[in-house]
Amino acid sequence: MAAAPLLEVSGVGKRFGGLVAVAEVSFAVQEGEIFSVIGPNGAGKTTLFSLLVGSQRPTTGSIRFRGEEIAGLRNDQVVARGLVRTHQIVRPFRDMTVKQNVSVGALFGSKQLRGEAAPAKVAEVLERTGLAARARVLAGTLTIGELKRLEIARALATEPTVLCLDEVMGGLNPAEIQGAMALIREIRKSGITVLMIEHHVHAVVGVSDRVMVLNFGRKIAEGRPQEVLRDPAVVSAYLGDEEGAAA
Amino acid sequence: MKAPLTRSLVWFGVLAAGLLGAPAAAERGTLNDLWNVAFAIVLASAWNLLGGFAGQISLGYSAFVGIGAYTTVLLAMAGWNPWLTLPVAAALAVAFSVIIGLPTFRLRGPYFSIATIGVGEAVRVIASGVEFTGGSSGLRMPSGGFNFISNYYGMAVLALFTVAVVFFIHHDAFGLALDAIRQDIDAAEALGVQSTRYKLLAHAVSAALVGAAGGLFAMNFQYISPGSVFDFRLSLSIVLMPIVGGIATLVGPVLGAVLFSYLQIKLLASPALRDSYLFIYGGLLMAVMLFEPRGMVGLWERLVRLRSRQRPQAAEA
Repeated sequence: MAAAPLLEVSGVGKRFGGLVAVAEVSFAVQEGEIFSVIGPNGAGKTTLFSLLVGSQRPTTGSIRFRGEEIAGLRNDQVVARGLVRTHQIVRPFRDMTVKQNVSVGALFGSKQLRGEAAPAKVAEVLERTGLAARARVLAGTLTIGELKRLEIARALATEPTVLCLDEVMGGLNPAEIQGAMALIREIRKSGITVLMIEHHVHAVVGVSDRVMVLNFGRKIAEGRPQEVLRDPAVVSAYLGDEEGAAA
Repeated sequence: MKAPLTRSLVWFGVLAAGLLGAPAAAERGTLNDLWNVAFAIVLASAWNLLGGFAGQISLGYSAFVGIGAYTTVLLAMAGWNPWLTLPVAAALAVAFSVIIGLPTFRLRGPYFSIATIGVGEAVRVIASGVEFTGGSSGLRMPSGGFNFISNYYGMAVLALFTVAVVFFIHHDAFGLALDAIRQDIDAAEALGVQSTRYKLLAHAVSAALVGAAGGLFAMNFQYISPGSVFDFRLSLSIVLMPIVGGIATLVGPVLGAVLFSYLQIKLLASPALRDSYLFIYGGLLMAVMLFEPRGMVGLWERLVRLRSRQRPQAAEA
């Protein structure tokens, strides 16, 4: 029998006026999994992440994290419980150094590290994400690849139980994508459950245990990556056909 | 970016020596001017904590000056030693900062600033209308016990204390939280920063300092009215000083305070310019916004960079 899921989302929806961004989405993530969310542009993936971490309030549904209802909590309260997200469009603190950026995560994350523990955590995270050599540089001067890693580094510094990665491979070159995939596997190995939104199909197939597909805010498929990608509903959602257009 | 520690200590030492050593060398008139400088330093540095570091531009800070001043006068009229009224003045300013912070910190950017104008004006109108504040004619401190030199030291010590408090906050996790809130409040919250809590804390600390300065203001001028301590132009000056000096820096508000106090003294002394000070302040503000948004501190850094670029060339020649 499977253990109770770490994260259990049921019937979650978000409506902006007349627009339904996310409609009645349900899924469950087990501890130690790498769970990917894919779907065409505008499918509601990023909105779903915003609902999970509390930067937006769901209109309907429930989100249970380690058995506790977290729908309706503020973003910082969710981070304190160990659920953190990165941003697809990177949001560095540009006038801070890379090290200070990561320190924010260490000081205000789930452990609220103080004293010697904070700089130690920051150094460890910078090492893991390959940013140690850039620690003293202003974040505003980093390349896009480095900024994506900084997003991950800051989130890791909060010591999450579940890390939600929003398209960390967007805009990266093939070598950088290989590096990012290795980093994601390494993060899972260190005991962190990974939830990720990704467009890069090779990366999704390469690292995910399970995949969920969203289209127009609705879940249209869920399962092992290879099976899901062969699913006719998924194929039509991506490539479009008469059935897809009518539905 | 944080200035090197030794440089901060050096200019703080110079400021402390200047303010505390002045009574030994200077005469009453100069000390009066220095009292004004110290008062301006408290207002500008304390405001900078919320308006600069946390990026929440409040245009209602005269409310804290006024609350502090009225608290001191009213308690002194009830027989209190004026010095003992200062903690109460600070505490009431803190209480008020929380009461207005809770609703207004839900607003962002210019909406917050506009709301604080309303708060400041509302307080002034109320103070002019109710009876226990003496209405628009104001209140006078009970006579006796006035001692300029102790008032001077009081304000000088408060100015140094304010700069020290801001320095420690800037170098603490609290300061990093404020920096994060200013640069990207959503990203800060996404990393666990409790933004409302830290904004309220910054507001409270700066309100306490400004409230105490308001109390000292009343002790020194002996007479206060809504027109003097709840004036919107005072709120504006409090904002302009850190902006002209260098917003969100430690030394900027101090430089701005010195410049403004100097200008004010010069302008008030010249009948032709007496009524033109807002015009001159406005001009300064526009110049800063257009040419050097980081104020005098930014200007200084630009000069340093120019010199370091010229030096190698000079060596070659």
